[in-house]
Amino acid sequence: MAEALWAEKYRPRTLSEIVNQKDIVNRLMKFVEEKNMPHLLFAGSPGTGKTTAALALVRDLYGDNYEQFFLELNASDERGIDVIRNKVKEFARISVQGDVKFKVILLDEADNMTSDAQQALRRIMEVYTSATRFILACNYLSKIIEPIQSRTALFRFYPLKKEDVITRLKYIAEEEGVSYDEKGLDTIYEVVSGDMRRAINLLQASSSYGKVTQESVFKVLGMTKPKEVQDMVKSALKGDFAKARESLRVLLVNEGLSGEDIIKQMHRIIFSNDMDMPEELRVIIADYLGEAEFRLTEGADDEIQLSAILARIVLLGEKYIGNK
Amino acid sequence: MSWFIKYRPKSLSEVENQDQVKEELKRWIDSWLKGKPTNKAVLLYGRPGSGKTTLAYAIARDNNFEILETNASDTRNLGNIRRIVEVGMQQSSLFGKSKLILLDEVDGINRKSDEGAIQGILDIISETKYPIIMTANDPWDPKLKELRESAKLIEVPKLGKIAMRKILKKICEKEKIKCHDDAINIIVDIADGDARFAINSLESVATTYSEVAVNLVEGILRRKEAQYDPFETLRKTFWAKYGWQAKDAVTNSEVDYELLMRWFDENIPIQYEDTKSMTLAFESLSRASIFLSRAKKGNWDQLSYLFDMMGPGVSMADRTKALPTWKAKWKTFKFPSYIQMLARSKQIRREKQEYVEEIAKASHCSYDKALSEIYPFIEVIDKKKK
Repeated sequence: MAEALWAEKYRPRTLSEIVNQKDIVNRLMKFVEEKNMPHLLFAGSPGTGKTTAALALVRDLYGDNYEQFFLELNASDERGIDVIRNKVKEFARISVQGDVKFKVILLDEADNMTSDAQQALRRIMEVYTSATRFILACNYLSKIIEPIQSRTALFRFYPLKKEDVITRLKYIAEEEGVSYDEKGLDTIYEVVSGDMRRAINLLQASSSYGKVTQESVFKVLGMTKPKEVQDMVKSALKGDFAKARESLRVLLVNEGLSGEDIIKQMHRIIFSNDMDMPEELRVIIADYLGEAEFRLTEGADDEIQLSAILARIVLLGEKYIGNK
Repeated sequence: MSWFIKYRPKSLSEVENQDQVKEELKRWIDSWLKGKPTNKAVLLYGRPGSGKTTLAYAIARDNNFEILETNASDTRNLGNIRRIVEVGMQQSSLFGKSKLILLDEVDGINRKSDEGAIQGILDIISETKYPIIMTANDPWDPKLKELRESAKLIEVPKLGKIAMRKILKKICEKEKIKCHDDAINIIVDIADGDARFAINSLESVATTYSEVAVNLVEGILRRKEAQYDPFETLRKTFWAKYGWQAKDAVTNSEVDYELLMRWFDENIPIQYEDTKSMTLAFESLSRASIFLSRAKKGNWDQLSYLFDMMGPGVSMADRTKALPTWKAKWKTFKFPSYIQMLARSKQIRREKQEYVEEIAKASHCSYDKALSEIYPFIEVIDKKKK
């Protein structure tokens, strides 16, 4: 799988292969030299190289057999604090033979952890600090509690610059024997706004249509856009509840999206130009979406919550657009 | 001691009617006594008060078996069931008495909180050295499928009126209570084959008034609460003029509240043609779903609000109900199709889930991220390849 995905195939293996984020790389290289490091906190938007830097750092520290010294936990793993404690204990139990005296745990998407979990994590970080160093990666620094911020060395990852993205895309295209034009690559950069992974995925998907051009890029974007969600909202606005609900069920059942995914996509869509509706209505729907999302976090049933939202949109559509 | 227990038949020969069941049970126990059991377990099924537990006790007594029993009021997880049975088996050597394992009300097993219970029972059935009797009201409950297949099914039909009358009269004689035949007949009618209910009713009238007469029976016995099938539940809820009627409909439904929410989910758009009512009804149902989730987290008091939202909430969403011109609308209700949809697509969803998990692992990211940000691109590539 990793070979089939260009974003993985061309992920830099060592710190020296990382072309951008120079300041960060230099600081990390120091840790490798000294064979020591504090707990680290990587903050930055998606696709800016947080995971890549973490993986490259451990590979430089431990060599190719880094996996026995390295544990990766992300939002799909059960991250209840007991789980973390047990996993950390288990992992830290066997001490390291070699120059580097500690192991590394990468906690990806750490900003998805509740503040209670973060508080407990902070204790664990202190207790096990001699055996284990943590790298926490997050999109939003503000969601990480102060005590953790103060106990870690902060690294801010900024969106990649245009020339860095384009250079990398050209390199990959040439390696893979893909033809492209400048306009095509420019378009990719414009839509991904500094997210390297998305850029490479988009390049790979576009290349399956032959040459990478503005046209093929837009084509892929059209296909990957959540059209079903858009259709669902449009049906509801037109007053067709039955059809809207059919779309909803396809999304939940066939596409396997969670209720929260669908609400987030709806949220994005209602403020986009693809949806034609009075501005006032966008705000009202957003309000209901926020409430529904909260109810889902309380454990309410997603199909029923979203059906209720669709019924509400039908009603609002009648009032503001007047389709009945 | 309640009369129901006090006058419970001590032997199969004392059990009124049920000749066929008695015969089948005897034959089964005989096969055990001969050392060649035809089935390790039987599942006695039938309506409440038809005599399932009584039959099990009677046959145990007739054969001088000691009974090892669990029922729905025990916490019934795997460990408990095993412990009861294992402890019982060890003790057997001390008394030299043989045993019969009675797993009462197996349909009361809760799939979530009694996790492993079904498997535990299946293990016990395959290992047991003693005959096992299980009882259930509804043996066709999907969760009982494996138990059904591993046991001999014996239906216990409801008691007939003549048999029931005989039972009640015998008790009156023994208790030296003055019983009027018409009054007994009313109890028999209301009980509709439920001996437990009939005997409890007789006892409550007799101990209150020391006499069983028609007016006393009618005064004290409310008609037994009816159980509505899902269609009836929906109709009663949607047609209710008052909140209590809707509440009665949902609380006395034979469908459990979780499934009932699906029925409403499916049928609200069918019943309510005007958008405003539909929206209000869905809003109520969505509130109900929140109360359910809180209840499941342990705040069981919240359950009562679920019924308020699903019953009166959905019912009173009909904006026109207050008008004098309001008339109930007859609609053809549908089975909840969402559940069927989920069942049908299970395989496809599992495959996709595994695929996305693989992507997530290769890409060092979470499942959700792989699904929303990487999978769409791969889907494009895969489609093109085909």
